[in-house]
Amino acid sequence: MRRDLQVVREPLDEDVLRRGRSASAGAGAVLHFLGIVRGTEGSDAIRALDYEAFEPMAVHQFGKLFDALEQRWPRVESVRLVHRVGIVPVGEASLWVEIVSPHRGEAFESCQWLIDEMKRVVPIWKKAVPGGSG
Amino acid sequence: MTVSVRYWSWFKDLAGADHEVHELAPEACLGDLLEQIRHQHPGFEQVRKSTLVAVGLEYQNADHRLKNGDEVSLFPPVQGG
Repeated sequence: MRRDLQVVREPLDEDVLRRGRSASAGAGAVLHFLGIVRGTEGSDAIRALDYEAFEPMAVHQFGKLFDALEQRWPRVESVRLVHRVGIVPVGEASLWVEIVSPHRGEAFESCQWLIDEMKRVVPIWKKAVPGGSG
Repeated sequence: MTVSVRYWSWFKDLAGADHEVHELAPEACLGDLLEQIRHQHPGFEQVRKSTLVAVGLEYQNADHRLKNGDEVSLFPPVQGG
């Protein structure tokens, strides 16, 4: 399984990321997930989220999740994930995930699982930056 | 033995620092270190159940045996995405 992980501080460029896709003749599904920063945190308007990562551990834990994903969905042929850290303004992307697989079922299931597990074990935190217009 | 402790996210506010060095008895386990930290920084008592702990890059439980020079990290529940 191809795997690619990036933890970046600059804005995500979806066009560039998409151009990096590789898919075999057996691939029938390419799933993209984009997580963007909401303008509210609870009932408060915010301007941005400030993400902090314990980066060496985050990379290590993502690697373990990719291993587990490959075991659980062996037909998934590619997983690429980019997480932005630092200040991410409202409306901009903090997370980009791409799954390539033969069929849509394992792409949707594995993507959902990967993001759920990321939110459980990967040491990244966010802090609201107040001041949005709502 | 000596271990270093690093705090992440708002746990830095609870500790009043992002990094500390702790002296422990030989054979001490992670639970002994956590008790020492809670004694030194009582705010950690309130977050006892939600505190996540790693030694190096791996999550560990309170009975994990520490070694001299270990790097321990304490942090609240993670929130990526």
